[in-house]
Amino acid sequence: MVAKGQKRKLLEGRGAWESQLQSVLDISMEKFHRDQALVEPSLLRSVLISNTLRQVQSEVRAQVESLSSVKMPTKPQTHSGLEPDFPSGSPSSTEHNAPVFSLNDENSNTEEDVMAWTSEEDFSLSSAISVILKDLDTVIDAGQGPPRAPLGSVENLTGDARHTQYPPSSSRTERASNVVPSVKSEAACLGCPQDVVLEKLLLDIDTSVFEPEVNLLQGFSVTADDLVKYLPSLSKSPSASSSSSSSSHGQATWEIQEIEHVMDILMRTYPQS
Amino acid sequence: MEEESDSRKINNSFLRDHNYATEADIISTVEFNSTGELLATGDKGGRVVVFQREQESKNQPHRRGEYNVYSTFQSHEPEFDYLKSLEIEEKINKIRWLPQQNAAYFLLSTNDKTVKLWKISERDKRPEGYNLKDEDGRIRDPSTITSLRVPVLQPMDLMVEAMPRRVFSNAHTYHINSISVNSDYETFMSTDDLRINLWNLEITNRSFNIVDIKPANMEELTEVITAAEFHPHQCNTFVYSSSKGSIRLCDMRASALCDNHSKFFEEPEDPSNRSFFSEIISSISDVKFSHSGRYLMTRDYLTVKVWDLNMESKPLETYQVHDYLRSKLCSLYENDCIFDKFECVWNGSDSVIMTGSYNNFFRMFDRNTKRDVTLEASRENSKPRAILKPRKVCVGGKRRKDEISVDSLDFSKKILHTAWHPYENIIAVAATNNLYIFQDKVN
Repeated sequence: MVAKGQKRKLLEGRGAWESQLQSVLDISMEKFHRDQALVEPSLLRSVLISNTLRQVQSEVRAQVESLSSVKMPTKPQTHSGLEPDFPSGSPSSTEHNAPVFSLNDENSNTEEDVMAWTSEEDFSLSSAISVILKDLDTVIDAGQGPPRAPLGSVENLTGDARHTQYPPSSSRTERASNVVPSVKSEAACLGCPQDVVLEKLLLDIDTSVFEPEVNLLQGFSVTADDLVKYLPSLSKSPSASSSSSSSSHGQATWEIQEIEHVMDILMRTYPQS
Repeated sequence: MEEESDSRKINNSFLRDHNYATEADIISTVEFNSTGELLATGDKGGRVVVFQREQESKNQPHRRGEYNVYSTFQSHEPEFDYLKSLEIEEKINKIRWLPQQNAAYFLLSTNDKTVKLWKISERDKRPEGYNLKDEDGRIRDPSTITSLRVPVLQPMDLMVEAMPRRVFSNAHTYHINSISVNSDYETFMSTDDLRINLWNLEITNRSFNIVDIKPANMEELTEVITAAEFHPHQCNTFVYSSSKGSIRLCDMRASALCDNHSKFFEEPEDPSNRSFFSEIISSISDVKFSHSGRYLMTRDYLTVKVWDLNMESKPLETYQVHDYLRSKLCSLYENDCIFDKFECVWNGSDSVIMTGSYNNFFRMFDRNTKRDVTLEASRENSKPRAILKPRKVCVGGKRRKDEISVDSLDFSKKILHTAWHPYENIIAVAATNNLYIFQDKVN
């Protein structure tokens, strides 16, 4: 149970960090765009806000890298990049020693917890983040452009676009203003797994990862139900945590993640030809 | 240190409604002159008000030299830059007095773009008996003049007049944040976000650029200059602070363009305190040399630091102004309070430093005893001539009777500008549109 408590705390801690990241990002973007609309934004303010945005960007990139390395566990450095302070060994992991796959306790514990992290919320967050990263590059570049004639900005104010600059930065600014709605919609997607987000997720994830799973299933003629039989403890264990935190929907999702995780293990244990 | 309060609200325009404060009255700078006889304030409406300390009289010993309005003038007007279609604010960013050399007083006042030298002089006599014009100024018909007379100076009511003597303009692309008079009393410098210019007080059509941190590509800009000051005794030395929390000391003898610093003061970041706002709160809002010239004081969002000029690696002393705000940085970022620029001042003997905070609080730190006190500049909470009561902010848990909790602080009441008399324990505190003057308790 220690592992589960740790997992919950880490989930909460990570959620707090994420929410702060999100609010800093939102506030910074709002200030940035508001200042851009001003006739003469304060240079000190602009520099501080864009430096904060850059910091958010680099933190997000670091997180996305660690998340993406989790999604594709073929990479050997996966586990080292994750939270190191996991207790090795837990009561639930001892029951994993079914003959189909060989796991050591540490591995299973880490991956199990990681897969619990990578709930649908996180998948949507990472996809949102990758979109936001692209936007940030655009926005930060546009922010440091030469001072523009304010008459131009006032004249070209439309309902959607905030401003237009004289060239050379005009195209970048328009792109920046155009991506504002998309950034906001991505932010709105967070926390609510939607089909749109999942589709984006699938596009993001390298689908070749899943191919060996398919092959494996065909080769072994193992169905999901069969695997679940081999993992009685896994199907039970989420109920302990889900009774206090996630809903039954979350529990089913968790099981699906577990199955995927098992597929990955199988893939590694029995490499495709 | 206990204080006797002598607070007053300064009203200096004819149309005034006592119930609300117009934005033009917001005080934006406060400065004593070198003798402490005069106190100047500048406001958002471009006005300068100068107070003079009245002579101490034996008849009224309890009125120990109070400050009265001496002169009021409109220093800067709102301008319009036609080339860029930008309005230039008339708000007075800084006032610096020149040392007194004759009967007149001189001060430099600046807004975002233009520095002006003002002469404030008294007139208590006027000449009477001109030949070519009447007493009311009308020209006399020369044919009616039969004899000549010598005009005679007659006494008149004291009149204080302020005249602009120099206008130093068109030298700054960005907003001026500081001016500093050199100890040679011949030159001064004006500082904007990216450049520092050196002027001769006599010459207005030319200035020398001594620091330029503008990158070739503005997209690479990550740091701006936030304040600068000349050394009080060495006329070749000055410092400037940056938005990244560093201070550079420069020697003008080294080269004409002082882009290379002689000394670089920066404290390494504390990794345990790292957050998204670490950089913003490290931005230095004010830098002041001590009167002795041995130390440097800097103000960033949460602390005041005293540096020894001989030690660049870390400050000598760090004082927490309002550390209880550290957990609230995200909301302070959201409501823009995190960008507030607080100033800091030394007392005459460099033993006490003072700076402002929120809720009309200001803080004093005694460098020798390591004691500190929080006081409030507010008419509601202190009567005139009553001793100021120390305030305390409660950080959590049980709140005692006189304490105020962090969540009850009024962030719109900020004390950004304070000044300390050069010799005595008299301080001036600007709270939005009110000026408070506090003196030491008389035993």
